[in-house]
Amino acid sequence: MSLAFDDYGRPYIILRDQGQKKRMKGLEAYKSNILAAKAVANTLSSSLGPKGMDKMLVSPDGDVSVTNDGATIVEKMEIQHPTAKLLVELSQSQDAEIGDGTTGVVVLAGKLLEQALTLLDKGIHPLKISDGFDRACDVAIKHLETISEEIDIQANEHEALIQAACTALGSKVVSKRKRELGKIAVTAVLDVADLARRDVNLDLIKIQTKTGGSVEDTRLISGILIDKDMSHPQMPKEVKEAKICLLTCPFEPPKPKTKHNINISSAEDYKKLYLQEQQYFVDMVKLVKDSGANIALCQWGFDDEANHLLLQNELPAVRWVSGTDVELIAMATGARIIPRFQEITPEKLGKAGSVKEVQFGTSNERMLVIENCQCTKAVTILIRGGSQMIVDEAKRSIHDAICVIRNLIKDNRIVYGGGSAELACAIQVLQYADEVSSVEQYAIRSFADALEGIPNCLADNCGLNPITSVAQAKSRQLQENNPRIGIDCMELGTTDMKEQRIYETLSSKKQQIQLATQVVKMILKIDDVIAPDDY
Amino acid sequence: MSQFLQPTILLLREGTDTSQGRAQIVSNINAVQAVADVVKSTLGPRGMDKMIQTGPKVTISNDGATILNLLEVVHPAARVLVDIAKSQDDEVGDGTTSTTLLAAELLKEAKPFIEEGIHPQIVIQGYRKALELALEKLEGFSINIAKDSAQDKRDTLLKCAQTALNSKLLANTKHFFSELVVSAVEKLDPNILDRDLIGIKNVTGGSVTDSFLVDGVAFKKTFSYAGFEQQPKRFENPKICLLNLELELKSEKENAEIRIEKPEEYQSIVDAEWALIYEKLEIIVKAGAQIVLSKLPIGDLATQYFADRNIFCAGRVTQDDLLRVQKATGGQVQTTVNGLNPETFGTCGLFEEVQVGAERYNLFKNCPQSRTATIVLRGGAEQFIQEAERSLNDAIMIVRRCFKANKIVAGGGAIELEISRFLRHYARSVTGKTQYIVNSYAKALEVIPRTIAENAGLNSIEIMNKLRQKHAQGGEEGRWYGVDINGASGVCDTHSSFVWEPTLVKRNALCSATEAACAILSIDETVKNPKSDQDTKMKPKGQPGRPPMGMRR
Repeated sequence: MSLAFDDYGRPYIILRDQGQKKRMKGLEAYKSNILAAKAVANTLSSSLGPKGMDKMLVSPDGDVSVTNDGATIVEKMEIQHPTAKLLVELSQSQDAEIGDGTTGVVVLAGKLLEQALTLLDKGIHPLKISDGFDRACDVAIKHLETISEEIDIQANEHEALIQAACTALGSKVVSKRKRELGKIAVTAVLDVADLARRDVNLDLIKIQTKTGGSVEDTRLISGILIDKDMSHPQMPKEVKEAKICLLTCPFEPPKPKTKHNINISSAEDYKKLYLQEQQYFVDMVKLVKDSGANIALCQWGFDDEANHLLLQNELPAVRWVSGTDVELIAMATGARIIPRFQEITPEKLGKAGSVKEVQFGTSNERMLVIENCQCTKAVTILIRGGSQMIVDEAKRSIHDAICVIRNLIKDNRIVYGGGSAELACAIQVLQYADEVSSVEQYAIRSFADALEGIPNCLADNCGLNPITSVAQAKSRQLQENNPRIGIDCMELGTTDMKEQRIYETLSSKKQQIQLATQVVKMILKIDDVIAPDDY
Repeated sequence: MSQFLQPTILLLREGTDTSQGRAQIVSNINAVQAVADVVKSTLGPRGMDKMIQTGPKVTISNDGATILNLLEVVHPAARVLVDIAKSQDDEVGDGTTSTTLLAAELLKEAKPFIEEGIHPQIVIQGYRKALELALEKLEGFSINIAKDSAQDKRDTLLKCAQTALNSKLLANTKHFFSELVVSAVEKLDPNILDRDLIGIKNVTGGSVTDSFLVDGVAFKKTFSYAGFEQQPKRFENPKICLLNLELELKSEKENAEIRIEKPEEYQSIVDAEWALIYEKLEIIVKAGAQIVLSKLPIGDLATQYFADRNIFCAGRVTQDDLLRVQKATGGQVQTTVNGLNPETFGTCGLFEEVQVGAERYNLFKNCPQSRTATIVLRGGAEQFIQEAERSLNDAIMIVRRCFKANKIVAGGGAIELEISRFLRHYARSVTGKTQYIVNSYAKALEVIPRTIAENAGLNSIEIMNKLRQKHAQGGEEGRWYGVDINGASGVCDTHSSFVWEPTLVKRNALCSATEAACAILSIDETVKNPKSDQDTKMKPKGQPGRPPMGMRR
């Protein structure tokens, strides 16, 4: 920061470490903020749409991830600039709220800022710009609601849901198998959804990944998959009509929590103690057996002695099952979690059609599948794929698809994708702009231009001529009064997105426009940046 | 020559910075000016925000007190400004920027007098006199709203909240949020109006208008153990048991040690420990509790025990939240389960766990004795929500004040101009130097409308002329003319356009600004000791005790 001098030429030290702070004011501050934010948006813009490209990100530890998901890209870019960070958070909050459309929201914010920059150059007060954007946003949202359509999620074996999932998966690396994966996602969500309350607890869908095989081998297990195997190699690999005993106590003599020591004064006492310990094991196994359980899952470990005893008693057991898995299994099988052996009763056991150990490929890794559970409340999606990177990306893609389906269950209104909704809004906003008499008119018009930026970007990414195709789509929308005309990214020969069945949820689109406007407004309101000099 | 070499008398430690006299006052005034300049552009409905980066943390704010605090001002005189902004924030919660600006402007007006050789004490006297008159007039001008009906009062509160939100990020949704804030404050006990009982929870994601008010308590799902998901998540009229008790299988005393002499005793110790925890759990269940909340952890054993009995539990609830639950549900926090009886249980209309953004939230709604409210704020980015929270905080404070004080004045610079007009008029009737000084005070007050106009990009000179003319006409008509940022003329009657502020805010602003100005004017010497840590900095870096490199040979 610049120094001030008093009447005697001595510098003022007003702020701490004044010399090391940098201050930007006014137009300089706006421009630097906008440029930083735009840089982030530009990085993402090539990932938008079904023909969007992926990014390869290398973390400081050398881990490589390849992804197309906006939120993941910006998160892994480790952005330092404070304004650019706002866009990162924007993308993440879209991820948290909706789960899908994380790229679109950042691209839209970037387009809005680009427009704001030209308006600033014209000399319009930044708050007038943000007022205009705000009004335009309201108009766009209202219009979105009028062009939205309600879909029947039950009809035709949930065809609409599958289509929506396919749209979400369309831009990802797994797009070749989007139909299969979409079906898996839809079934998974419907299994855990509470349709009466329109609530879906995503915690109940477990996504497990395993490299090897191909993406086609991905499957839905109406039960739970845990990355564990039987505690003893000679135990049976499959238990039919399983009665599961879920234990949160180890197969070992109970230890008092209070600090204790045992004084052994004679050899007899020692023997007694040994026998007593043995007795504990026998009792424990007996208690489990007596309840009728034919498999025990234990949150803790047990030593080889106990393991041997379990084998002898023909009681298959699994050790070190994680807490979250225990909970999921309990939900799915209707089991009650048992904290100590004395409390085991037959009612507390969970029931499942089968518990079996499965082996993958030639590797020695095994997993345990619990299927046909008594009350299927929890499901697992097992994702397979050629490499870790593919599997990770597939996991993110399926997560997006699941989120889309969840949103449709919450609110079954959709708009059509392919940039058609944005174009329709742009037309509406442009019309509105002419009715406004004040300076905001310019800002509103620019908002419409920014909205057009999305189909533009889509067309660009697909290798189409952006200007021609957007102009064509726009004129057809106006001529036919059909808000469903978009960009034919897949070159299927029709630009009507209803025919192409590109569905997007209304809530996601609404959220995108609202969030982007909000963040742009925030960036436009900053006229002063005070930061350490090295930033 | 030697007679010229007077021995220097070292009175202070070497490095001590002393400055004195008139020059010191002028220098202090300049420093204050520099600081006030930073916050100047945040004033008014077209005020801008500042982005301040301190370490890895970035704050975007429009709140004067927050900005000044983050600037890390070290200049001793300028720090006075930071302090008055803070005191204004603590006392009334809003108007921090205007207080700072006013103080700086008063000093600026005083500068020529000091330079011309008028004794600072005379300036101070004049300012004090002017303040006295200004406060008197402020009371006279303010409009009492106490006698109006409940509906009118609510309207007034809404207007005041909107005025406070005008300059913030939330300006476009001010109607929505003023409603939220007023409803929240109305929930409180009108005699105490404890600010702590309005909780604000931030959840990123969603639009700002997705924010909502819970007439009760809301808090984020606490850390839970396995078995939690098997608990019921919805109750109507539940019995809520509040505890400050750890429900876990653990050693009763940290330092206790047990000596076990015979192997047979082993089991009995284990059983005894289990019995202890089970006894506690059983008492709670027997008493009929349906929801158990504890400030301390509730372990996996207890979680599963409750799940088996269809009881909901949450451990590690923060102190604030537990306090609010207590107030809302009428329960009492127990530190032991001995003698637990259903009378200490609270209740509410509806308990539910719902998904808000990416989080799951516990909501206690429709509380019978609800004296508390929670605002769940939504928004696109972390910084956005934080700034929204600060803005709402200002609005809540304003509404609270208004609730108590019942008196309002019109904002937009109208009241400042009116007082200014009066003081100018008064100045003509006094003799002596005071005349000039009261006049300066009047001039300094104009800084508020002038800055509002400047920030809005209006021609401030033209606007000021128009406003002065309106006010000079006197009477009821011109009294409430202030800056209008939307209209073409730039001025309007701010009272009829509902830019209202509680009198108390203005009163406090005037008092603390004048006091601060007087305090700075009366300082004529600064003795600044060198920083004690400077010595340590001079030492060569490296391991202590190691001889410098050059010495090793």
